[in-house]
Amino acid sequence: MKRLSIVVAIALLLIPSAVFAGGAQETGVTTLTIAGRDGAYGDAMELAIASYQEANPNVEFELLKLSGSELKEQSVIELRGGTGAFDVILIDDPFLTQLQEAGWLADLDALYQEKGLSIDEDLVENMVNIGRYPYPNGKLLALPHVGNVALFAYRQDISKKYGVDKFATWTEVLEVAKKIKANEGGMTPVLFRGVQGNPIVTGFLPIYWAFGADILVDGKPAFNTPEALNALEYFLELAKYAPEGVTAYQSAQVSDALLAGTAAMAIEVWPGWIGNLENPELSNVVGKVKIAAHPGQVNQSSSMIGAWMVGIPKDSKNIDAAFDFLLHLTSAETQEAIARETGVPPTRHSVHQIADLVASYPWYPAQLDGQKTGSVRPRTNYWSEIESVFGDYLQRALVGNLTAKQALNEIQTRVAEIVE
Amino acid sequence: MKQSQRAAYNSFFYLIFAPALLLILFLTIYPISSIVYDSFFRYDFISNTREFIGLQNYSRIIGEELFQRSFTNTLIFTFVASTLEVILGVFFAFMLQRKFRGKRISSLIIIFPMIISTMVICAVWQTFFHYEIGLFNFILGKLGLSPVGWLTDQHVALFSVILVDIWQWTPFAFLIIQAGMSSIPSDIFEAAQIDGANRRQISFRITLPILSSQILLVLMLRTIDTFRLFDKVYALTGGGPANATQTLSTFIYREGFSFFNFGRASSASVLTLFVVAFLALFYVRSLLKEDN
Repeated sequence: MKRLSIVVAIALLLIPSAVFAGGAQETGVTTLTIAGRDGAYGDAMELAIASYQEANPNVEFELLKLSGSELKEQSVIELRGGTGAFDVILIDDPFLTQLQEAGWLADLDALYQEKGLSIDEDLVENMVNIGRYPYPNGKLLALPHVGNVALFAYRQDISKKYGVDKFATWTEVLEVAKKIKANEGGMTPVLFRGVQGNPIVTGFLPIYWAFGADILVDGKPAFNTPEALNALEYFLELAKYAPEGVTAYQSAQVSDALLAGTAAMAIEVWPGWIGNLENPELSNVVGKVKIAAHPGQVNQSSSMIGAWMVGIPKDSKNIDAAFDFLLHLTSAETQEAIARETGVPPTRHSVHQIADLVASYPWYPAQLDGQKTGSVRPRTNYWSEIESVFGDYLQRALVGNLTAKQALNEIQTRVAEIVE
Repeated sequence: MKQSQRAAYNSFFYLIFAPALLLILFLTIYPISSIVYDSFFRYDFISNTREFIGLQNYSRIIGEELFQRSFTNTLIFTFVASTLEVILGVFFAFMLQRKFRGKRISSLIIIFPMIISTMVICAVWQTFFHYEIGLFNFILGKLGLSPVGWLTDQHVALFSVILVDIWQWTPFAFLIIQAGMSSIPSDIFEAAQIDGANRRQISFRITLPILSSQILLVLMLRTIDTFRLFDKVYALTGGGPANATQTLSTFIYREGFSFFNFGRASSASVLTLFVVAFLALFYVRSLLKEDN
């Protein structure tokens, strides 16, 4: 009995050591954990990982493909805990300010200096500056990975019938929408994402800015201005030419309608949605849809940048390896391969000039132009809350619960409470 | 039993009960007290700043239109969904009480929605509800009726979400009621028949009163569950259109995990907890009364 007890005790002591031995890293192998996105962005990251591993077989990866909200939640929880669980994180640019201000990201300027490198001038400077804190001249804390820019899409074959080759103002857009409704039976004149919160705000912002309105002026809300009122009244007028169920429209509905050829204009498209526009197997409108910068109105056209940035948490235990991977991820070769395979937009000048890519994605010149001159959403810690309030009241105005003026006054009051 | 024996018995009882009690205290009391504590602070999780503001979080959110809307929507959803689920559950249980060919397959079909993932259900229903290509508007079109904005009309959207919940969770009510029914001794029904009771009398005067504790139990479980509604709203409408489907859970999620305002999220959670606890207490008291 005593002997049996000793055997059992030894076995119990050996089990944990066997378990922990199994979890030990092989000598010389580094594992990088990436908190990334799902969908095309996840495919792009996988592609970059595969090509990196060819040259660096001793680096292993764990890629988490998360939805936008999951990525935000998990990033905050892990970074706040300082666990070092993530080595590379993908960050939506409006959220970057909060992470930068919290001091959770490694200083990439210092890493460049340490390695005797400098930032490649081929990366679009305006996009690189998004990663700086304070914006746009401070320390570099993230690099641009996905060069998303909101663009305007329209059926040029239809607009030409009504005398417009290129839309210069939003007034022209409304005029053409009216004519399409009157003359093109079954064709939706205009489309946008009407879901409350981020989608509707993102769709509306190019109009808002073009009408000369601002979100924050000197840190104070600026929604109750005549410019903002003009912009919203215009938006509500234009929305009369959108489909009945537009308040539930997401990116899928917008891109499906464009590809099917049932919509004439979309006031907001992102490169990631329209990768198949010129693919005859999936698109009914090959060569018919023009993707361009947004029209202007009081102000010149200003594209909205919605970049996805990559950064290294300062608590990562593999900062050097992570930085090396970031250089690979943002290199010209990787961006070209990613653009070719997944349609994810690059952030380099040179990749925008590759002839066959431009043939596949004819909006590259507009995209590059948008990256060089476009605007970012306000760099404030309160952006998520502001966007949420803005989106709620925009949608309430859209469904007719509030007038444009009432909605803007409500937004002004609520945003003032948020930023106070 | 002698007094010393009883004392030993009680000590033994407390001894074996203690680990479970400690675990429950740790897993329940600690998080709840920490939420109550946080609710008195302006607490930004990202910057890790806390400022004591007393009851300001409560007074602010109670005064906010969005919170009031979320609260009203939650109450409507809870009342309509749980009541209809229980009524339909009882109805199906009665229908399947009789012996008939295909009874087993019918039970399986009724239970089926409950075993599918909520996200899959929402994806399927989203296509049914689609304004242009959805099944429901297709049927309405064939009947010569105008299409309905199932998820886009602010007066309809909440009821569309309720419909999905009823479809998914009526089987749960059905299962519990059916289990209760099968435990009723058949001689009660035989005696009633001999005494000349008809089917209706047997159902309303014998079966339903016997099943009252099961019905109350299902009603309690469904009320508590529907009060915490989150996933369907998140997947079907995102709280829209125009906040028509915002619920307390989506409000808390938004404050906590979109804005990381843990103080406000905590105070909204405490308010929700109060309501759920009150409802649970009401049902538990009723159940205990039944037992007595």
